[in-house]
Amino acid sequence: MNIFHAIYASTVFVVAYALITTERLNKTMVALAGATAMFFLPVIDSHEVFYSEETGIDWDVIFLLLGMMIIVSVVRQTGVFEYIAIWAAKRAKGSPLRIMILLILVTAVGSAFLDNVTTVLLIAPVTLLVCERLAVSAVPFLIGEAFAANIGGAATLVGDPTSIIIGTGAHLSFISFLANMGPAVLMVLAVLLMLLPRLFPGAFTVDPERVADVMALDESEAISDRKLLIQCGIVLLVVFAGFVVHKQIHMEPSLVAMAGAGILILISGLDREFYLSSVEWETLLFFAGLFIMVGALVRTGVINNLAHAASHATGGNEWLTTVLILGVSFLFSGFVNNVPYAATRALILGTVLGGNLTAVGASANVVVVGIAQRSGSPVSFWDFTKRGAVVTAISFVISLGYLWLRYFVLT
Amino acid sequence: MRAEDLDEKFPVVKIDSDALDAVRLLAEHRLNGLVVVTDTSETPFAVLPASQVVRFIVPGYVQDDPGLASVMTESMADHAAEKLAGRTIRDMLPKQRQHIPVADADDTIIEVAEVMARLRSPLVAVVKDGKLHGVITASRLLAAALKE
Repeated sequence: MNIFHAIYASTVFVVAYALITTERLNKTMVALAGATAMFFLPVIDSHEVFYSEETGIDWDVIFLLLGMMIIVSVVRQTGVFEYIAIWAAKRAKGSPLRIMILLILVTAVGSAFLDNVTTVLLIAPVTLLVCERLAVSAVPFLIGEAFAANIGGAATLVGDPTSIIIGTGAHLSFISFLANMGPAVLMVLAVLLMLLPRLFPGAFTVDPERVADVMALDESEAISDRKLLIQCGIVLLVVFAGFVVHKQIHMEPSLVAMAGAGILILISGLDREFYLSSVEWETLLFFAGLFIMVGALVRTGVINNLAHAASHATGGNEWLTTVLILGVSFLFSGFVNNVPYAATRALILGTVLGGNLTAVGASANVVVVGIAQRSGSPVSFWDFTKRGAVVTAISFVISLGYLWLRYFVLT
Repeated sequence: MRAEDLDEKFPVVKIDSDALDAVRLLAEHRLNGLVVVTDTSETPFAVLPASQVVRFIVPGYVQDDPGLASVMTESMADHAAEKLAGRTIRDMLPKQRQHIPVADADDTIIEVAEVMARLRSPLVAVVKDGKLHGVITASRLLAAALKE
Protein backbone atom coordinates (compact mmCIF):
# COMPACT_ATOMS: atom_id res chain seq x y z
CA MET A 1 0.00 0.00 0.00
CA ASN A 2 1.36 3.42 -0.87
CA ILE A 3 0.29 7.03 -0.38
CA PHE A 4 -1.76 6.92 -3.59
CA HIS A 5 -3.91 4.08 -2.18
CA ALA A 6 -4.43 6.06 1.03
CA ILE A 7 -5.48 9.21 -0.84
CA TYR A 8 -7.80 7.23 -3.11
CA ALA A 9 -9.47 5.41 -0.15
CA SER A 10 -9.82 8.65 1.83
CA THR A 11 -11.35 10.45 -1.14
CA VAL A 12 -13.89 7.67 -1.74
CA PHE A 13 -14.80 7.66 1.95
CA VAL A 14 -15.15 11.43 2.24
CA VAL A 15 -17.29 11.68 -0.93
CA ALA A 16 -19.49 8.77 0.20
CA TYR A 17 -19.77 10.25 3.69
CA ALA A 18 -20.76 13.64 2.31
CA LEU A 19 -23.41 12.05 0.07
CA ILE A 20 -24.77 9.99 2.97
CA THR A 21 -25.06 12.95 5.30
CA THR A 22 -26.68 15.26 2.76
CA GLU A 23 -29.27 12.50 2.15
CA ARG A 24 -29.54 13.47 -1.53
CA LEU A 25 -29.07 9.84 -2.51
CA ASN A 26 -30.14 6.61 -0.88
CA LYS A 27 -27.57 5.96 1.87
CA THR A 28 -27.39 2.21 1.23
CA MET A 29 -26.72 2.77 -2.46
CA VAL A 30 -23.95 5.23 -1.62
CA ALA A 31 -22.36 2.92 0.98
CA LEU A 32 -22.38 -0.02 -1.44
CA ALA A 33 -21.06 2.13 -4.29
CA GLY A 34 -18.28 3.40 -1.99
CA ALA A 35 -17.49 -0.19 -0.99
CA THR A 36 -17.33 -1.20 -4.66
CA ALA A 37 -14.97 1.71 -5.39
CA MET A 38 -12.62 0.31 -2.75
CA PHE A 39 -12.26 -2.91 -4.80
CA PHE A 40 -10.49 -0.97 -7.55
CA LEU A 41 -6.67 -0.63 -7.63
CA PRO A 42 -7.40 -2.80 -5.41
CA VAL A 43 -7.43 -1.05 -2.05
CA ILE A 44 -8.91 -4.08 -0.35
CA ASP A 45 -9.50 -7.66 -1.53
CA SER A 46 -12.25 -10.18 -0.89
CA HIS A 47 -10.34 -12.04 1.83
CA GLU A 48 -9.82 -8.80 3.74
CA VAL A 49 -13.51 -7.90 3.30
CA PHE A 50 -15.08 -11.18 4.33
CA TYR A 51 -12.59 -12.91 6.65
CA SER A 52 -10.27 -10.37 8.25
CA GLU A 53 -11.04 -9.39 11.83
CA GLU A 54 -9.18 -6.10 11.36
CA THR A 55 -10.43 -4.87 8.02
CA GLY A 56 -13.47 -7.00 7.24
CA ILE A 57 -17.20 -6.69 7.72
CA ASP A 58 -18.02 -7.03 11.41
CA TRP A 59 -20.39 -9.98 11.13
CA ASP A 60 -21.06 -9.86 14.87
CA VAL A 61 -22.63 -6.43 14.40
CA ILE A 62 -24.61 -7.43 11.31
CA PHE A 63 -26.03 -10.56 12.93
CA LEU A 64 -26.66 -8.89 16.29
CA LEU A 65 -28.70 -6.26 14.45
CA LEU A 66 -30.51 -8.90 12.39
CA GLY A 67 -31.28 -11.05 15.46
CA MET A 68 -32.63 -8.08 17.44
CA MET A 69 -34.71 -6.93 14.47
CA ILE A 70 -36.35 -10.36 14.21
CA ILE A 71 -36.98 -10.45 17.98
CA VAL A 72 -38.58 -6.99 17.82
CA SER A 73 -40.70 -8.09 14.84
CA VAL A 74 -42.19 -10.90 16.90
CA VAL A 75 -42.53 -9.00 20.18
CA ARG A 76 -44.37 -6.08 18.57
CA GLN A 77 -47.10 -8.49 17.42
CA THR A 78 -48.09 -8.96 21.07
CA GLY A 79 -49.17 -5.34 21.67
CA VAL A 80 -47.13 -5.17 24.87
CA PHE A 81 -45.59 -1.80 24.01
CA GLU A 82 -49.01 -0.21 23.56
CA TYR A 83 -50.15 -1.80 26.83
CA ILE A 84 -47.22 -0.36 28.79
CA ALA A 85 -47.55 3.12 27.23
CA ILE A 86 -51.29 3.38 27.88
CA TRP A 87 -50.89 1.93 31.37
CA ALA A 88 -48.22 4.58 32.07
CA ALA A 89 -50.43 7.40 30.74
CA LYS A 90 -53.28 6.26 32.99
CA ARG A 91 -50.98 6.00 36.02
CA ALA A 92 -50.10 9.65 35.39
CA LYS A 93 -53.80 10.38 36.03
CA GLY A 94 -54.02 12.62 32.97
CA SER A 95 -51.37 15.12 34.01
CA PRO A 96 -49.54 15.98 30.77
CA LEU A 97 -46.18 16.52 32.50
CA ARG A 98 -46.41 13.22 34.37
CA ILE A 99 -47.53 11.49 31.15
CA MET A 100 -44.52 12.91 29.33
CA ILE A 101 -42.17 11.82 32.11
CA LEU A 102 -43.54 8.28 32.09
CA LEU A 103 -43.54 8.01 28.28
CA ILE A 104 -39.96 9.28 28.24
CA LEU A 105 -38.96 6.68 30.82
CA VAL A 106 -40.74 3.92 28.84
CA THR A 107 -38.95 5.11 25.68
CA ALA A 108 -35.54 5.30 27.36
CA VAL A 109 -35.85 1.83 28.89
CA GLY A 110 -37.24 0.42 25.62
CA SER A 111 -34.48 1.91 23.53
CA ALA A 112 -31.83 0.57 25.88
CA PHE A 113 -32.81 -2.90 24.73
CA LEU A 114 -34.30 -2.26 21.30
CA ASP A 115 -33.29 -0.20 18.32
CA ASN A 116 -34.02 3.54 18.86
CA VAL A 117 -36.07 3.96 15.70
CA THR A 118 -38.17 0.90 16.49
CA THR A 119 -38.83 2.20 19.99
CA VAL A 120 -39.91 5.59 18.68
CA LEU A 121 -42.12 3.98 16.04
CA LEU A 122 -43.78 1.91 18.75
CA ILE A 123 -44.33 4.72 21.23
CA ALA A 124 -45.33 7.51 18.82
CA PRO A 125 -48.79 6.19 17.81
CA VAL A 126 -49.77 5.79 21.48
CA THR A 127 -48.45 9.28 22.19
CA LEU A 128 -50.57 10.72 19.38
CA LEU A 129 -53.63 8.89 20.70
CA VAL A 130 -53.13 10.13 24.27
CA CYS A 131 -52.40 13.71 23.16
CA GLU A 132 -55.45 13.76 20.90
CA ARG A 133 -57.59 12.61 23.84
CA LEU A 134 -56.09 15.34 26.04
CA ALA A 135 -56.36 17.92 23.21
CA VAL A 136 -52.71 18.91 23.72
CA SER A 137 -49.98 19.20 21.09
CA ALA A 138 -48.08 15.94 20.62
CA VAL A 139 -44.96 17.73 19.37
CA PRO A 140 -43.26 18.28 22.77
CA PHE A 141 -43.97 14.65 23.68
CA LEU A 142 -42.51 13.35 20.41
CA ILE A 143 -39.39 15.52 20.68
CA GLY A 144 -38.91 14.41 24.30
CA GLU A 145 -39.24 10.77 23.22
CA ALA A 146 -36.61 11.22 20.49
CA PHE A 147 -34.22 12.63 23.13
CA ALA A 148 -35.03 9.71 25.44
CA ALA A 149 -34.53 7.13 22.67
CA ASN A 150 -31.08 8.51 21.88
CA ILE A 151 -30.09 8.72 25.53
CA GLY A 152 -31.42 5.25 26.38
CA GLY A 153 -29.65 3.78 23.35
CA ALA A 154 -26.29 4.62 24.90
CA ALA A 155 -26.97 2.52 27.99
CA THR A 156 -26.47 -0.99 26.65
CA LEU A 157 -24.51 -2.87 24.03
CA VAL A 158 -27.69 -3.53 22.01
CA GLY A 159 -29.39 -0.15 22.46
CA ASP A 160 -28.20 1.60 19.34
CA PRO A 161 -26.31 0.56 16.18
CA THR A 162 -23.61 2.98 17.31
CA SER A 163 -23.33 1.21 20.65
CA ILE A 164 -23.29 -2.17 18.91
CA ILE A 165 -20.47 -1.15 16.56
CA ILE A 166 -18.27 0.52 19.16
CA GLY A 167 -19.07 -1.98 21.92
CA THR A 168 -18.32 -5.07 19.84
CA GLY A 169 -15.33 -3.36 18.21
CA ALA A 170 -13.89 -2.66 21.64
CA HIS A 171 -14.79 -6.22 22.78
CA LEU A 172 -16.87 -4.87 25.67
CA SER A 173 -19.13 -7.39 27.39
CA PHE A 174 -22.82 -6.53 27.90
CA ILE A 175 -22.22 -6.01 31.62
CA SER A 176 -19.06 -3.93 31.31
CA PHE A 177 -20.75 -1.78 28.66
CA LEU A 178 -23.73 -1.23 30.96
CA ALA A 179 -21.50 -0.58 33.96
CA ASN A 180 -19.50 2.02 32.01
CA MET A 181 -22.33 3.78 30.21
CA GLY A 182 -25.28 3.25 32.57
CA PRO A 183 -24.37 5.87 35.21
CA ALA A 184 -23.82 8.61 32.62
CA VAL A 185 -27.07 7.73 30.85
CA LEU A 186 -29.03 7.79 34.12
CA MET A 187 -27.63 11.22 34.99
CA VAL A 188 -28.42 12.69 31.58
CA LEU A 189 -31.91 11.19 31.67
CA ALA A 190 -32.59 12.57 35.15
CA VAL A 191 -31.53 16.05 34.03
CA LEU A 192 -33.69 15.78 30.90
CA LEU A 193 -36.73 14.99 33.10
CA MET A 194 -36.00 17.96 35.33
CA LEU A 195 -35.65 20.23 32.31
CA LEU A 196 -38.96 19.28 30.67
CA PRO A 197 -41.09 22.18 32.03
CA ARG A 198 -38.43 24.66 30.84
CA LEU A 199 -37.89 22.96 27.49
CA PHE A 200 -41.60 22.94 26.69
CA PRO A 201 -43.25 25.83 28.54
CA GLY A 202 -47.02 25.97 28.15
CA ALA A 203 -47.24 22.40 26.85
CA PHE A 204 -48.79 20.96 29.99
CA THR A 205 -52.09 22.78 30.29
CA VAL A 206 -55.09 20.54 29.88
CA ASP A 207 -58.87 20.75 30.20
CA PRO A 208 -59.76 18.52 33.21
CA GLU A 209 -62.73 17.14 31.27
CA ARG A 210 -60.37 15.65 28.69
CA VAL A 211 -58.55 13.63 31.33
CA ALA A 212 -61.52 11.26 31.56
CA ASP A 213 -60.96 10.37 27.91
CA VAL A 214 -57.47 9.09 28.67
CA MET A 215 -58.62 7.22 31.76
CA ALA A 216 -61.27 5.52 29.59
CA LEU A 217 -58.68 3.92 27.31
CA ASP A 218 -58.58 0.17 27.84
CA GLU A 219 -54.95 -0.98 27.76
CA SER A 220 -55.86 -4.64 28.23
CA GLU A 221 -57.39 -4.62 24.73
CA ALA A 222 -53.94 -3.83 23.32
CA ILE A 223 -52.67 -7.32 24.15
CA SER A 224 -53.60 -9.22 21.04
CA ASP A 225 -52.00 -12.60 21.82
CA ARG A 226 -51.42 -13.57 25.45
CA LYS A 227 -49.76 -16.90 24.66
CA LEU A 228 -47.27 -15.16 22.34
CA LEU A 229 -46.67 -12.52 25.01
CA ILE A 230 -45.65 -15.19 27.54
CA GLN A 231 -43.45 -16.93 24.97
CA CYS A 232 -41.76 -13.64 24.08
CA GLY A 233 -41.27 -12.77 27.74
CA ILE A 234 -39.50 -16.06 28.44
CA VAL A 235 -37.30 -15.87 25.32
CA LEU A 236 -36.39 -12.21 26.00
CA LEU A 237 -35.37 -13.11 29.55
CA VAL A 238 -33.19 -15.93 28.23
CA VAL A 239 -31.68 -13.67 25.55
CA PHE A 240 -30.79 -10.91 27.98
CA ALA A 241 -29.44 -13.47 30.45
CA GLY A 242 -27.37 -14.74 27.52
CA PHE A 243 -26.07 -11.22 26.88
CA VAL A 244 -25.06 -10.91 30.54
CA VAL A 245 -23.15 -14.21 30.67
CA HIS A 246 -22.02 -14.39 27.03
CA LYS A 247 -18.33 -14.47 27.96
CA GLN A 248 -18.91 -17.40 30.32
CA ILE A 249 -20.97 -19.38 27.83
CA HIS A 250 -18.56 -18.51 25.00
CA MET A 251 -21.26 -17.05 22.78
CA GLU A 252 -20.98 -13.62 21.24
CA PRO A 253 -24.10 -11.40 21.65
CA SER A 254 -24.75 -11.88 17.92
CA LEU A 255 -25.17 -15.64 18.39
CA VAL A 256 -27.33 -15.12 21.49
CA ALA A 257 -29.62 -12.77 19.53
CA MET A 258 -29.78 -15.09 16.52
CA ALA A 259 -30.55 -18.06 18.77
CA GLY A 260 -33.33 -16.08 20.48
CA ALA A 261 -34.70 -15.00 17.11
CA GLY A 262 -34.66 -18.58 15.83
CA ILE A 263 -36.46 -19.89 18.92
CA LEU A 264 -39.10 -17.15 18.67
CA ILE A 265 -39.71 -17.90 14.99
CA LEU A 266 -40.11 -21.59 15.80
CA ILE A 267 -42.42 -21.32 18.80
CA SER A 268 -44.48 -18.33 17.67
CA GLY A 269 -45.64 -19.98 14.46
CA LEU A 270 -45.86 -16.53 12.88
CA ASP A 271 -45.71 -16.11 9.10
CA ARG A 272 -42.60 -14.70 7.47
CA GLU A 273 -44.24 -11.32 6.79
CA PHE A 274 -44.66 -10.85 10.55
CA TYR A 275 -41.36 -12.14 11.92
CA LEU A 276 -39.41 -10.21 9.29
CA SER A 277 -41.58 -7.08 9.50
CA SER A 278 -39.03 -5.03 11.48
CA VAL A 279 -35.97 -6.31 9.63
CA GLU A 280 -34.40 -3.41 7.76
CA TRP A 281 -32.43 -5.18 5.05
CA GLU A 282 -31.29 -1.85 3.67
CA THR A 283 -29.76 -0.90 7.01
CA LEU A 284 -27.86 -4.19 7.18
CA LEU A 285 -26.50 -3.68 3.66
CA PHE A 286 -25.65 -0.07 4.54
CA PHE A 287 -23.54 -1.25 7.46
CA ALA A 288 -21.82 -3.89 5.32
CA GLY A 289 -20.86 -1.17 2.82
CA LEU A 290 -19.71 1.11 5.61
CA PHE A 291 -17.54 -1.61 7.16
CA ILE A 292 -15.85 -2.24 3.81
CA MET A 293 -15.06 1.45 3.39
CA VAL A 294 -13.70 1.76 6.93
CA GLY A 295 -11.78 -1.51 6.41
CA ALA A 296 -10.12 0.08 3.40
CA LEU A 297 -9.11 3.09 5.52
CA VAL A 298 -7.60 0.71 8.07
CA ARG A 299 -5.86 -1.28 5.34
CA THR A 300 -4.28 1.83 3.81
CA GLY A 301 -3.12 3.11 7.21
CA VAL A 302 -5.39 6.18 7.20
CA ILE A 303 -7.05 5.35 10.53
CA ASN A 304 -3.70 4.65 12.15
CA ASN A 305 -2.31 7.98 10.93
CA LEU A 306 -5.40 9.83 12.17
CA ALA A 307 -4.99 8.25 15.60
CA HIS A 308 -1.31 9.27 15.66
CA ALA A 309 -2.21 12.81 14.57
CA ALA A 310 -4.85 13.11 17.31
CA SER A 311 -2.41 11.77 19.87
CA HIS A 312 0.28 14.19 18.65
CA ALA A 313 -2.14 17.15 18.80
CA THR A 314 -2.87 16.43 22.44
CA GLY A 315 0.75 15.69 23.26
CA GLY A 316 -0.20 12.14 24.25
CA ASN A 317 -2.21 13.48 27.20
CA GLU A 318 -4.98 10.96 27.80
CA TRP A 319 -7.42 13.47 29.29
CA LEU A 320 -6.97 15.95 26.43
CA THR A 321 -7.43 13.12 23.91
CA THR A 322 -10.66 12.11 25.63
CA VAL A 323 -11.94 15.71 25.59
CA LEU A 324 -11.00 16.06 21.92
CA ILE A 325 -12.80 12.85 20.89
CA LEU A 326 -15.83 13.66 23.03
CA GLY A 327 -16.09 17.20 21.66
CA VAL A 328 -15.59 16.24 18.03
CA SER A 329 -18.00 13.31 18.23
CA PHE A 330 -20.71 15.40 19.94
CA LEU A 331 -20.40 18.06 17.26
CA PHE A 332 -20.21 15.66 14.31
CA SER A 333 -23.13 13.53 15.47
CA GLY A 334 -25.26 16.60 15.91
CA PHE A 335 -25.06 17.72 12.34
CA VAL A 336 -24.82 14.45 10.46
CA ASN A 337 -26.66 11.24 11.15
CA ASN A 338 -24.66 9.51 13.88
CA VAL A 339 -24.65 6.06 12.31
CA PRO A 340 -21.77 6.49 9.81
CA TYR A 341 -19.58 8.27 12.32
CA ALA A 342 -19.84 5.38 14.75
CA ALA A 343 -17.93 3.11 12.42
CA THR A 344 -14.81 5.15 13.05
CA ARG A 345 -14.92 3.89 16.63
CA ALA A 346 -15.52 7.29 18.23
CA LEU A 347 -16.54 7.62 21.79
CA ILE A 348 -20.00 6.23 22.50
CA LEU A 349 -21.24 9.05 24.67
CA GLY A 350 -20.32 11.64 22.08
CA THR A 351 -21.76 9.86 19.08
CA VAL A 352 -25.00 8.69 20.67
CA LEU A 353 -25.85 11.66 22.90
CA GLY A 354 -24.60 14.16 20.33
CA GLY A 355 -27.36 12.88 18.05
CA ASN A 356 -29.81 14.99 20.06
CA LEU A 357 -28.32 18.27 18.84
CA THR A 358 -30.34 18.74 15.66
CA ALA A 359 -33.37 17.28 13.91
CA VAL A 360 -31.10 15.28 11.61
CA GLY A 361 -28.55 14.19 14.21
CA ALA A 362 -30.04 10.74 14.72
CA SER A 363 -32.43 8.44 12.87
CA ALA A 364 -34.93 8.64 15.75
CA ASN A 365 -35.10 12.44 15.36
CA VAL A 366 -35.75 12.16 11.62
CA VAL A 367 -38.51 9.61 12.26
CA VAL A 368 -40.14 11.76 14.95
CA VAL A 369 -40.12 14.86 12.75
CA GLY A 370 -41.76 12.80 9.98
CA ILE A 371 -44.44 11.46 12.34
CA ALA A 372 -45.20 14.95 13.63
CA GLN A 373 -45.50 16.22 10.06
CA ARG A 374 -47.92 13.43 9.11
CA SER A 375 -50.01 14.05 12.20
CA GLY A 376 -50.52 17.65 11.10
CA SER A 377 -48.14 19.27 13.62
CA PRO A 378 -44.91 19.95 11.75
CA VAL A 379 -41.69 20.49 13.72
CA SER A 380 -39.23 22.90 12.17
CA PHE A 381 -35.49 22.22 12.20
CA TRP A 382 -35.06 25.16 14.57
CA ASP A 383 -37.90 24.05 16.88
CA PHE A 384 -36.09 20.79 17.42
CA THR A 385 -32.57 22.18 17.44
CA LYS A 386 -33.06 24.94 20.02
CA ARG A 387 -34.17 22.28 22.51
CA GLY A 388 -31.69 19.69 21.24
CA ALA A 389 -28.84 22.16 21.75
CA VAL A 390 -29.77 22.57 25.41
CA VAL A 391 -30.03 18.82 25.98
CA THR A 392 -26.77 18.18 24.11
CA ALA A 393 -24.87 20.91 25.96
CA ILE A 394 -25.97 19.46 29.28
CA SER A 395 -25.20 15.92 28.11
CA PHE A 396 -21.72 17.09 27.08
CA VAL A 397 -21.00 18.64 30.46
CA ILE A 398 -22.32 15.59 32.32
CA SER A 399 -20.34 13.21 30.07
CA LEU A 400 -17.17 15.22 30.49
CA GLY A 401 -17.58 15.32 34.26
CA TYR A 402 -18.39 11.62 34.38
CA LEU A 403 -15.40 10.61 32.24
CA TRP A 404 -13.06 12.80 34.24
CA LEU A 405 -14.30 11.58 37.60
CA ARG A 406 -14.56 7.92 36.69
CA TYR A 407 -11.51 7.36 34.51
CA PHE A 408 -9.05 10.03 35.63
CA VAL A 409 -9.81 10.75 39.28
CA LEU A 410 -11.15 7.51 40.69
CA THR A 411 -8.74 5.19 38.84
CA MET B 1 -68.98 -2.92 -26.92
CA ARG B 2 -67.11 0.34 -26.37
CA ALA B 3 -66.68 2.33 -23.17
CA GLU B 4 -69.02 5.12 -24.34
CA ASP B 5 -71.81 2.54 -24.85
CA LEU B 6 -71.32 1.27 -21.35
CA ASP B 7 -70.81 4.36 -19.24
CA GLU B 8 -73.55 6.06 -17.25
CA LYS B 9 -74.16 9.40 -15.58
CA PHE B 10 -72.49 9.61 -12.21
CA PRO B 11 -72.18 12.24 -9.46
CA VAL B 12 -69.20 14.53 -9.95
CA VAL B 13 -67.72 16.67 -7.18
CA LYS B 14 -65.36 19.63 -7.26
CA ILE B 15 -62.00 19.27 -5.56
CA ASP B 16 -62.53 22.11 -3.09
CA SER B 17 -66.11 21.19 -2.18
CA ASP B 18 -67.09 20.18 1.34
CA ALA B 19 -65.98 16.71 2.41
CA LEU B 20 -69.09 16.08 4.51
CA ASP B 21 -71.40 16.78 1.53
CA ALA B 22 -69.42 14.33 -0.59
CA VAL B 23 -69.58 11.67 2.09
CA ARG B 24 -73.36 12.17 2.41
CA LEU B 25 -73.61 11.68 -1.34
CA LEU B 26 -71.66 8.43 -1.10
CA ALA B 27 -73.73 7.20 1.83
CA GLU B 28 -77.19 8.16 0.54
CA HIS B 29 -76.68 6.73 -2.95
CA ARG B 30 -74.55 3.82 -1.74
CA LEU B 31 -71.83 4.73 -4.22
CA ASN B 32 -68.40 3.13 -4.18
CA GLY B 33 -66.61 6.25 -5.37
CA LEU B 34 -66.85 9.74 -6.84
CA VAL B 35 -65.27 11.45 -9.82
CA VAL B 36 -63.41 14.61 -8.79
CA VAL B 37 -62.95 17.58 -11.15
CA THR B 38 -61.32 21.00 -10.75
CA ASP B 39 -63.06 24.35 -11.06
CA THR B 40 -61.30 25.06 -14.34
CA SER B 41 -61.51 21.80 -16.24
CA GLU B 42 -64.12 19.18 -17.09
CA THR B 43 -61.43 16.52 -17.34
CA PRO B 44 -61.40 14.18 -14.32
CA PHE B 45 -58.76 15.23 -11.77
CA ALA B 46 -59.06 12.13 -9.58
CA VAL B 47 -61.34 9.33 -8.50
CA LEU B 48 -62.15 9.27 -4.79
CA PRO B 49 -63.01 5.68 -3.79
CA ALA B 50 -65.28 5.23 -0.77
CA SER B 51 -62.51 3.14 0.77
CA GLN B 52 -60.24 6.21 0.73
CA VAL B 53 -62.87 8.16 2.67
CA VAL B 54 -63.08 5.33 5.18
CA ARG B 55 -59.28 5.39 5.45
CA PHE B 56 -59.38 9.15 6.05
CA ILE B 57 -61.58 8.85 9.11
CA VAL B 58 -59.28 6.26 10.66
CA PRO B 59 -56.76 8.25 12.77
CA GLY B 60 -53.21 8.17 11.40
CA TYR B 61 -51.89 6.63 14.61
CA VAL B 62 -54.33 3.72 14.27
CA GLN B 63 -53.20 3.19 10.66
CA ASP B 64 -49.61 3.07 11.95
CA ASP B 65 -50.51 0.79 14.85
CA PRO B 66 -53.75 -1.12 14.15
CA GLY B 67 -53.72 -2.55 17.69
CA LEU B 68 -54.76 0.86 19.03
CA ALA B 69 -58.19 0.58 17.40
CA SER B 70 -59.22 -1.83 20.14
CA VAL B 71 -58.12 0.33 23.07
CA MET B 72 -60.47 3.17 22.11
CA THR B 73 -63.88 3.23 23.72
CA GLU B 74 -67.17 3.05 21.81
CA SER B 75 -67.88 6.77 22.31
CA MET B 76 -64.45 7.71 20.94
CA ALA B 77 -65.01 5.52 17.89
CA ASP B 78 -68.49 6.94 17.33
CA HIS B 79 -67.02 10.42 16.92
CA ALA B 80 -64.52 9.37 14.25
CA ALA B 81 -66.48 11.04 11.43
CA GLU B 82 -66.10 14.43 13.17
CA LYS B 83 -62.72 14.57 11.50
CA LEU B 84 -64.51 15.40 8.25
CA ALA B 85 -65.88 18.69 9.53
CA GLY B 86 -64.37 21.69 7.76
CA ARG B 87 -62.40 19.49 5.36
CA THR B 88 -62.53 19.45 1.58
CA ILE B 89 -62.30 16.70 -1.02
CA ARG B 90 -58.68 17.75 -1.59
CA ASP B 91 -57.85 16.88 2.03
CA MET B 92 -59.21 13.38 1.59
CA LEU B 93 -57.23 12.58 -1.55
CA PRO B 94 -53.87 10.82 -1.07
CA LYS B 95 -51.04 13.33 -0.62
CA GLN B 96 -49.14 11.90 -3.58
CA ARG B 97 -50.92 12.36 -6.89
CA GLN B 98 -52.27 8.99 -8.05
CA HIS B 99 -52.84 7.71 -11.58
CA ILE B 100 -56.38 8.60 -12.66
CA PRO B 101 -58.51 5.63 -13.76
CA VAL B 102 -59.55 7.00 -17.12
CA ALA B 103 -60.60 5.25 -20.34
CA ASP B 104 -61.14 6.65 -23.82
CA ALA B 105 -64.67 6.55 -25.18
CA ASP B 106 -63.69 3.98 -27.82
CA ASP B 107 -61.86 1.61 -25.42
CA THR B 108 -63.08 -1.99 -25.19
CA ILE B 109 -64.33 -3.72 -22.05
CA ILE B 110 -60.96 -5.42 -21.64
CA GLU B 111 -59.14 -2.09 -21.80
CA VAL B 112 -61.48 -0.64 -19.19
CA ALA B 113 -61.12 -3.76 -17.02
CA GLU B 114 -57.33 -3.55 -17.29
CA VAL B 115 -57.32 0.05 -15.98
CA MET B 116 -59.74 -0.87 -13.19
CA ALA B 117 -57.63 -3.88 -12.13
CA ARG B 118 -54.25 -2.15 -12.40
CA LEU B 119 -55.29 0.92 -10.42
CA ARG B 120 -57.55 -1.06 -8.06
CA SER B 121 -60.30 1.47 -8.66
CA PRO B 122 -63.99 0.74 -8.14
CA LEU B 123 -64.82 2.92 -11.15
CA VAL B 124 -63.32 4.26 -14.35
CA ALA B 125 -64.07 7.69 -15.82
CA VAL B 126 -64.76 7.70 -19.56
CA VAL B 127 -63.44 10.71 -21.45
CA LYS B 128 -64.47 11.88 -24.91
CA ASP B 129 -62.91 14.93 -26.60
CA GLY B 130 -61.18 15.82 -23.32
CA LYS B 131 -64.46 15.99 -21.37
CA LEU B 132 -66.02 13.55 -18.92
CA HIS B 133 -68.53 11.43 -20.85
CA GLY B 134 -69.61 9.11 -18.04
CA VAL B 135 -68.45 6.53 -15.53
CA ILE B 136 -68.22 2.74 -15.60
CA THR B 137 -68.48 1.00 -12.24
CA ALA B 138 -67.08 -2.46 -11.55
CA SER B 139 -70.58 -3.95 -11.27
CA ARG B 140 -71.66 -2.33 -14.54
CA LEU B 141 -68.56 -3.70 -16.25
CA LEU B 142 -69.14 -7.22 -14.91
CA ALA B 143 -72.81 -7.15 -15.97
CA ALA B 144 -71.77 -6.13 -19.49
CA ALA B 145 -69.09 -8.82 -19.58
CA LEU B 146 -71.64 -11.49 -18.65
CA LYS B 147 -73.99 -10.38 -21.43
CA GLU B 148 -71.16 -10.66 -23.95
